[in-house]
Amino acid sequence: MNRRKLLSLLGMSPVVMAAESALAAQSEKKPVAPVTTHPALARLATGPAKITTVNPKGTPPAIQLIPMAPRLDSLDGKTVYLVDTGFHGSDMLLQQIQEWFKANMPGVTTVFKRKAGPYAQDDPALWKEIKEKGNAVIMAVGH
Amino acid sequence: MGIPSAPIVTKAFKDLAILNAAKRGMPHERICFTQHPVWGKTPDELHAYIEGQDPVSNKPFMKEVVDALTVPLSDDEKKSGMVTVSVGPPTFTDTAENLQDFYLNNGYTDFLPVILPTEEKVDAMLKGTTHHPDEVVGKMAAGAYPPWSYTVRQVAASAVMAGCRPEYFPILLAIASTGIASLFSSTNSFAFSMIVNGPIRDKLEFNYGIGSLGPFAQANATIGRAWTLMSKNLGNGGIPGDTYLGSVGNNLNYNNVVIAENEEASPWDPFHVQRGFKKEDNVVSLFRGLGVVPGQVARGSSANENVQFDYQLSDLFSTFTGFFGALVIADPLVAVRLKEQGYETKEKLIDWLYKNTTQTVKDYKSRNYAYLFDYPRALRGDEPWASWYKMPDDAVIPHFPHASDFNIVVTGGQTNAYPQAANMSYGVSASIDKWM
Repeated sequence: MNRRKLLSLLGMSPVVMAAESALAAQSEKKPVAPVTTHPALARLATGPAKITTVNPKGTPPAIQLIPMAPRLDSLDGKTVYLVDTGFHGSDMLLQQIQEWFKANMPGVTTVFKRKAGPYAQDDPALWKEIKEKGNAVIMAVGH
Repeated sequence: MGIPSAPIVTKAFKDLAILNAAKRGMPHERICFTQHPVWGKTPDELHAYIEGQDPVSNKPFMKEVVDALTVPLSDDEKKSGMVTVSVGPPTFTDTAENLQDFYLNNGYTDFLPVILPTEEKVDAMLKGTTHHPDEVVGKMAAGAYPPWSYTVRQVAASAVMAGCRPEYFPILLAIASTGIASLFSSTNSFAFSMIVNGPIRDKLEFNYGIGSLGPFAQANATIGRAWTLMSKNLGNGGIPGDTYLGSVGNNLNYNNVVIAENEEASPWDPFHVQRGFKKEDNVVSLFRGLGVVPGQVARGSSANENVQFDYQLSDLFSTFTGFFGALVIADPLVAVRLKEQGYETKEKLIDWLYKNTTQTVKDYKSRNYAYLFDYPRALRGDEPWASWYKMPDDAVIPHFPHASDFNIVVTGGQTNAYPQAANMSYGVSASIDKWM
């Protein structure tokens, strides 16, 4: 699925679209004129009865958009932190990226760090260090 | 942090990464993708990854990384403000057949037929509690996502769909109030379990006798199923690639492991009493972990007069990951035998299991979960992991970090003395009475 399609989930969920198309399809069906007033025969003429059901979904939170941080003019002369979140292979991938910078952009200083704490937890001490000493972050999530 | 970042994710997690960034307010985050997996690859193979293309954009990978940090922001990337997310209208009207298809095709079900939550059936379910239909019960997320909230009425819809009776409803509200989803986004294919204690077991005709963990009672079957439907519908869990990543998946997710404790045949205090509740209280306690294994596979499981269930259980637990807890699921015959052996209380058996289920530091460090979860804690100085990582390889340490990682529940019909064991951790206990 492309990003546009994925992001359409934010403003218009597939549930809504599916519901709308189902309802639209339903409204397009031409009603069949009843041929008799007998209830059983009327059901035969108009098809199965319609029922109303409850949408079982919970309520998603509204999303607060966060403006992204301004980008750098260039990485030359800058310090880039390479942060390993702890998933398997992230460290080795970042080490290869470190080697790539040495070979291809020697003006960039790279600092490798493994984030402390389980992968889903913040590491405030490291964030503070990066903010004070770094100019950019590359963060790798392996598997 | 206020400084530019370039997250790198393997392509297997593309949808998850893009959607989760969006849900957290950065729908245009510049995510760079590598081939998958990176785990187990040689340095040369990883070098080839980064010298190659980003498999999502098909542009040179390292150019994507550098551009992510240096190309000026677009107007979209600078946007602030609020975005609301719709889940559709509050009701749907169509034929029963079409609605059954509609619910299935829109991910509202577990892909088994459901009882359609008509307004009449939902109203009937709401009679199972004194709480107002619009009362907010809690918030739930199937992982590290912004949680969804839900009302009593929204819980009732999933309860109807699962086939629950109105008198079961307080148990579902108690579960929903914890915010714990039974579907979790991890690649680990987690399993979930609940223990039900108190007089409500008999009132609702839970099965805690023969085949207590099997499909032999409506309460066990439908309440377990409802937890998964609630996780999908109320917590937005169970969307493969987005909010569910379990590589193989887990069959236990269909209705979870529902354990009504056989309090009457147990020689020990019921589980909820251990947790500080009164015996007459009705309580549901939730667990999360990897799954359940039979005791028959353990060493020392011979059915003779010398059978040693403590050693059997310890043997089973030594194969588990210490990241999750160890739950003993004991048939009453097993429990009675253990008491005869001197374990007068559950706590006494737990103490023995904790002290006698051990491993060497070398074995410990070689484990996947130790590297992934414990080592980062050790780096932060958390105990006991920080000390364990300083010990020599041949030092012997407990297999589980704390005695409280062990739990015991008694259930079953006493047709044979077979225990089962779950690699599951206790999460929380919730009062059912509060939701009546």
